[in-house]
Amino acid sequence: MTAPLLAIEDLVVSFPSNHAPLHAVDRVSFALKPGESLVIAGESGSGKSLLCRSILGVEPETAKVAGRLDWKGKSLLNLSVAQWRPLRGAEIAMIFQDPTAALNPLLTVGRQIMDVVRAHRKCSRNEARSRAIEVLGTAGLPEPEHRLTSYPSELSGGMRQRVAIALALSAGPELLIADEATTNLDVSIQAQIVTLLHDLRSKLGVALIFVTHDLDLAAEVGGELLVMYAGQPVEMGPVDTVLADPCHPYTRGLLRSAPTARSSRRTPLRPIPGQAPKLGAVGDGAPFRDRCPVLISGLCDRSRPGWTEAGPSHRVACHRFEQDGRDGLT
Amino acid sequence: MTDAPILEAIALDKVFRVRRKGAPHDIHALKNVETQLHPGETLGLVGESGSGKTTLARILIGIEEPTRGEVRFEGNAVRSAEGWRELRRQVQYVFQDPFTALCPTMRIGAALAEPLAIHGICPKPERKDRVAKMLGLVGLSADMAGRLPYQLSGGQRQRVNLARALMLEPRVLICDEIVSGLDVSVQAQVLALLVDLQGKLDLSLIFISHDLRVVRYLCDRVQVMLLGDTVEHGPTAEVFDDPQHEYTRKLLDAIPDRDHAARISKSALQYG
Repeated sequence: MTAPLLAIEDLVVSFPSNHAPLHAVDRVSFALKPGESLVIAGESGSGKSLLCRSILGVEPETAKVAGRLDWKGKSLLNLSVAQWRPLRGAEIAMIFQDPTAALNPLLTVGRQIMDVVRAHRKCSRNEARSRAIEVLGTAGLPEPEHRLTSYPSELSGGMRQRVAIALALSAGPELLIADEATTNLDVSIQAQIVTLLHDLRSKLGVALIFVTHDLDLAAEVGGELLVMYAGQPVEMGPVDTVLADPCHPYTRGLLRSAPTARSSRRTPLRPIPGQAPKLGAVGDGAPFRDRCPVLISGLCDRSRPGWTEAGPSHRVACHRFEQDGRDGLT
Repeated sequence: MTDAPILEAIALDKVFRVRRKGAPHDIHALKNVETQLHPGETLGLVGESGSGKTTLARILIGIEEPTRGEVRFEGNAVRSAEGWRELRRQVQYVFQDPFTALCPTMRIGAALAEPLAIHGICPKPERKDRVAKMLGLVGLSADMAGRLPYQLSGGQRQRVNLARALMLEPRVLICDEIVSGLDVSVQAQVLALLVDLQGKLDLSLIFISHDLRVVRYLCDRVQVMLLGDTVEHGPTAEVFDDPQHEYTRKLLDAIPDRDHAARISKSALQYG
């Protein structure tokens, strides 16, 4: 058994308010070993981006992070700027959703990557330059040596995203966090980036956290799947298992709402009625209760469901599932 | 589908002249593109960024002028300013970004009444009723009319944009990536609404999307574009099940697919 790189237990990210603190991420636990991947799926407001930012210590200043957040056995909570410096960008790197906002528009691509390389490793300009060419190549940018002098505005969206990926790879991270990194890209580029992430895992042993709201894409990425709703984990297990046998009403609803590669109007989509709850509106009950088709009144609105085993390493947080198993679901 | 097309593009060419390092440079955005939309059908325009699908749509409502070729509405070429004004009443455009498509300081009710005022088709006292009726049609309550855009969620804003486009009772709706910025469950709600409205209002739709799963779900016919050219077109099921062009095949292979992915991981397990 290799020790986990990242171990998270009962992580809570909350914002202060006039009443009780608002829990944007509410008791999330998982562990990640080298080469493993975790896909976090959920919609806007599910807390997935905030969770990622907290791992990297770049959550908003007003947010309060509590629980266990260990990197190689040492806590990442309350580190000083100096303590973060050898970790952030070097051991743990993040690819943000919007590459236009993640790149400096006034500096060339080469300069931005070389800056990162030289911030984390003592090396000459020339060495940094060849490292920049190397990572741009790894990220699948054609003619990387000619791209060093390009400014972000001269590149297309797909190419900018590759530069953002190259930037994340430049210091050789052991954990890569991709927050909706392919969401705005064309399908063919998206497929190439997913293949690249597979290669990084299998060849370099990089661990991956991949955030998406697209469950089909989650299947392509593979590994473990964590489904989040309103800040809470609701279902967890190997991606294939969860998608083949979804056991939480929210996961089921998501799968029914999304058209697949073969659906047509003859089998209408079944949207989940209503809207996701506002931050802080969940209270004590099950987070999905207002939109749930198999609600148990008197129970779901009072207590938060704990984990129930749905199979080997497949867990669900649902009162209905705990009571009636798969027969209780629609 | 034997009816005469309601909206047609005939041999469209579009060249954008830009300056690159000081020298003039031509970008051929559309090369001899034809398209036909029949009454009541949904046509999907697919292709990657830069394939010309948005340029084609913008020419179809006259935001952009073609370098060569013409647009026909109900069989007649649209040439005069008068002709374009009439076309823009019958053909409406719904934009991709529900956040920038609405004026941030204009209340929803005023935004919805504006097209009526511009085209001068509904007496002022009756506008409020029309707005309330339309809000009901897209599944929003009438009190939305008093709100400002920032008070609405993404899904609600996209419903408002749909409602605004429908105020003039158009016959054709051009939807440019209208669900790509939305969450899956909201996307499903908007798609269901679109199907419902199309049945109720006898609309013809041009649906632009890079999400081929949505196109397959929604469209009767599909036109695949690559670098300003149409590489393949036909009934959606035929094109998706038996693509003839190599590029279409490549695009379809890239669609994320849970069943396909599960098969691969079971047979190979190389990343397990």
